Amino acid sequence: MKFDTVIIGGGLAGMVCGIRLAEAGERCAIVSQGQSALHFSSGSFDLLSRMPDGTPVSDPMVGVAELERIAPEHPYARIGAERCDRYARQVPAFLREAGLPVTGEDRRNHFRITPMGKSKATWLTLEGYLRTEAPGQFPFRQVCIVNVEGFLDFYPEFVAEEFRKYDITCRFGTINFPDLEQIRQNPSEMRSANIARVFDHERNLEALAAKIREVAADCEAVILPAIIGLNRDDAFAVLQSKVDKPLYLLPTLPPSIPGIKAQQALQARFRALGGEYFLGDTVLSGELENGRVKQIYTANQGNIPFQADHFVLATGSFFSKGLVATPDRIVEPVFGADTVFTSDRSTWYTLHFFDRQNYQAFGLRTDAELRVMKEGVALENLYGIGAGLSGFHPVQEGCGAGVSLLSAFYVAETILNSRKS
Amino acid sequence: MENTYDVIIIGGGATGAGVARDCSLRGIKALLLERSDISTGATGRNHGLLHSGARYAVTDGESAEECIRENMILRKIAAHCVEETDGLFISLPEDGLEYQSVFVEACRRAGIRAEVLDPEEAKRLEPAANPALIGAVRVPDGAVDPFRLTSSNILDAKAHGAEIRTYTEVKELIREQDRIVGVKAYDHRAHREETFYAQVVVNAGGIWGHGIAAKVGITINMLPAKGALLIFGHRVNQMVLNRCRKPADADILVPGDTISLIGTTSSKVPYDQIDNMVITPEEVDILLREGEKLSPQLAYTRILRAYAGVRPLVASDDDPSGRTVSRGIVLLDHAQRDGLEGFITITGGKLMTYRLMAEWATDLVCRKLGIHQSCRTAELPLPGSVESREEVEKKNRRKPVAQRRSAISRHGDLAARIADRNSIQNSLVCECEEVSIGEVEYALENLSVNNLVDLRRRTRVGMGTCQGELCACRAAGLMGKKDPVCAKKAKADLVSFLNERWKGMAPIAWGDTLRESEYTTWVYESVCGLSDETEKTTVQ
Repeated sequence: MKFDTVIIGGGLAGMVCGIRLAEAGERCAIVSQGQSALHFSSGSFDLLSRMPDGTPVSDPMVGVAELERIAPEHPYARIGAERCDRYARQVPAFLREAGLPVTGEDRRNHFRITPMGKSKATWLTLEGYLRTEAPGQFPFRQVCIVNVEGFLDFYPEFVAEEFRKYDITCRFGTINFPDLEQIRQNPSEMRSANIARVFDHERNLEALAAKIREVAADCEAVILPAIIGLNRDDAFAVLQSKVDKPLYLLPTLPPSIPGIKAQQALQARFRALGGEYFLGDTVLSGELENGRVKQIYTANQGNIPFQADHFVLATGSFFSKGLVATPDRIVEPVFGADTVFTSDRSTWYTLHFFDRQNYQAFGLRTDAELRVMKEGVALENLYGIGAGLSGFHPVQEGCGAGVSLLSAFYVAETILNSRKS
Repeated sequence: MENTYDVIIIGGGATGAGVARDCSLRGIKALLLERSDISTGATGRNHGLLHSGARYAVTDGESAEECIRENMILRKIAAHCVEETDGLFISLPEDGLEYQSVFVEACRRAGIRAEVLDPEEAKRLEPAANPALIGAVRVPDGAVDPFRLTSSNILDAKAHGAEIRTYTEVKELIREQDRIVGVKAYDHRAHREETFYAQVVVNAGGIWGHGIAAKVGITINMLPAKGALLIFGHRVNQMVLNRCRKPADADILVPGDTISLIGTTSSKVPYDQIDNMVITPEEVDILLREGEKLSPQLAYTRILRAYAGVRPLVASDDDPSGRTVSRGIVLLDHAQRDGLEGFITITGGKLMTYRLMAEWATDLVCRKLGIHQSCRTAELPLPGSVESREEVEKKNRRKPVAQRRSAISRHGDLAARIADRNSIQNSLVCECEEVSIGEVEYALENLSVNNLVDLRRRTRVGMGTCQGELCACRAAGLMGKKDPVCAKKAKADLVSFLNERWKGMAPIAWGDTLRESEYTTWVYESVCGLSDETEKTTVQ
């Protein structure tokens, strides 16, 4: 099989890169194992929330410019502040085009609210989700926090405890009805996606609206966990139109409905642009020739290789198995590419879970154009993007989504430029 | 008088709990003080091996005899804490077969059934055993759940009038002339000091008993020997596997519930380090290297956690390995030994002999109080083991199959107290260990749960392969719901639960363990935003 570009990995980075290339007319394939980090998305996209030393960032672009100076190994520094700025301005329209209506400013972080009520700085948030300009600046003084009875992946009491710090009065509303009882018959089924399937039915969405009106009768606003709109995009709008007061969603523990929706939307956009998406396939090996990737082999296609001018490695980090840790080193399993890590395992982490852990910054060794290195030499046509890159702490710095998005934009542009020359 | 008891027991391990039960059954008014949760010392940090005594048969005949007697008693009184698996002592080519005949002879002398098996028969009985084995002896080893055992003793003690105070740390022994008359203790939850009086104080503090006695200038020469263990992600073996040789590092592999455990290493640690057990990469390497000799499939079995306990051995010589000292029970009457009345220490011994240790200590307490009641703990079944299995199944038939099986295995006949009236109560909080909302609520209401780690000990929430990925959050949610004022505490608690869990994962954090940790970081720090909480606590 012959393509212009083959992308290994169908998470946020891989799909965004594929869409950028397909938009420019490239013939692209994405090979994806399936579940990606989007399945535990918060409904927001971070760009840069904190500097490596923990200082909060209010204007991500100021932070990125600073990173260029102090952290040359950081993917943003590799890409360059000027380019980061340019890509960041394009991202909101790009996501909206893909069917992901986000709001946010390029030069100012806002705050998303977590399933535990915490305020976290972020960059873009999906419409419908509660966001504030500063911690505690809620658009209500009094709110009803609604939950489905027995749903354990969302925490009304914890949310209320945070809100009370800002003198917000919280009431709780619990909802139950027969169709939910159905999924309860299997005791491990009370999870967000299964509940959302119930509310995909018009009748149940109606009933939900009625229950919300009832439990939130004398409240200013309503908060609901993200348990609606799995297979229909209008669920929030429909529900809002039937509830006589402002309705806000909060994310839940995985599986994340906004994440699953994002995955589906990006996939649909890629396919609509003519991209070929190979779901449920695993890349087993890559064949190199003269410092280039010649072709790759996958589990499903057997001895029929994928051939392309360019390859993109978007296989993620440890969770997605783009990186594999053995007791003494970090391995990139497809190409045996060079990785950045410290050799003494005892330096990989501290004994305090919430510390900044060194292993989180381990990843692919790349050159300035994010080309993947093997035995000290950059492979000419293999680029690394997303969580598998080294030199950044996605969680501590609040930059995981941003690195995926901007590195995907950058590599797509690099590949397209190489066509021109 | 308020705060006055017949006896105060210091230490909520198996021994202390056993003493509390024994005293209560003999009508003695008992108070047990534990600085943390029950079974957090050596009781909760060992193999969970129901020793047949075979391991000690060659080197310590007396311990071996005690073991086999207690082994048979526990099968009767604590059936719901015991798994009757039997064990194999295998000889590998490098061990030779000479030791086997010495071993079998010693077992028989101690009254331990020891059946020499044909190697092929042994491999058929236990397919996980190293196929290179050249000999095997079958003995009545088994698995015992130390937490359940302790918890059952505590429940029975309470049912017979004992008072149990966890998170209450003894700070001082009150001395009047040549007598101990009570203790001053600090309640870590209420943040206040309290004074308790009794005619006899029993020091059952395990390795920490050294420090308790030292408070009144008494020296008990203990030898803190650290033993590290690894827990594997699924049950590799069905029978206990031992090496048939002189006891050494990492030569026991014990199955328990859904997992297997390999241990232990043995190294002398300074007394001031007993609260600070860190597992080194070398210990992990030894455990894996030796463990693979018992069962080669350990090489590719996922490791869940590493942890270490400190053996409360009483030093008899300067043996650095801590292995040739006697495992015998040490009962010290400080009136005779040190001229201090009203104070006794029960130490040495091991989990297997906790009941016998409690019996000895309680006999001495009775003599001091002038009470003539004989011990009944060898006959009376513990709560959870009172009713027949059939009866228990019948009473729990409303529970879905998985929850029923797990609840009965954890709580025995007490499982009937777990609410199962509706689908919400039967919903799962923890999928790996099949813990229902009903079970969590039962534990919160009846089993003195103060935090998530306590809850984990009582229900196994967060002990499965995911190590508390999402269930910790769910359980914290339930705790916060039970007492809304405590929502803040529950959140802080979640942070310490994750830290606790990470401590056991860090020594083995590669492969799937590192994957899981990365995922946990994403979920808790990023999605839930929990890191900010910790930052605040660090600043304070």
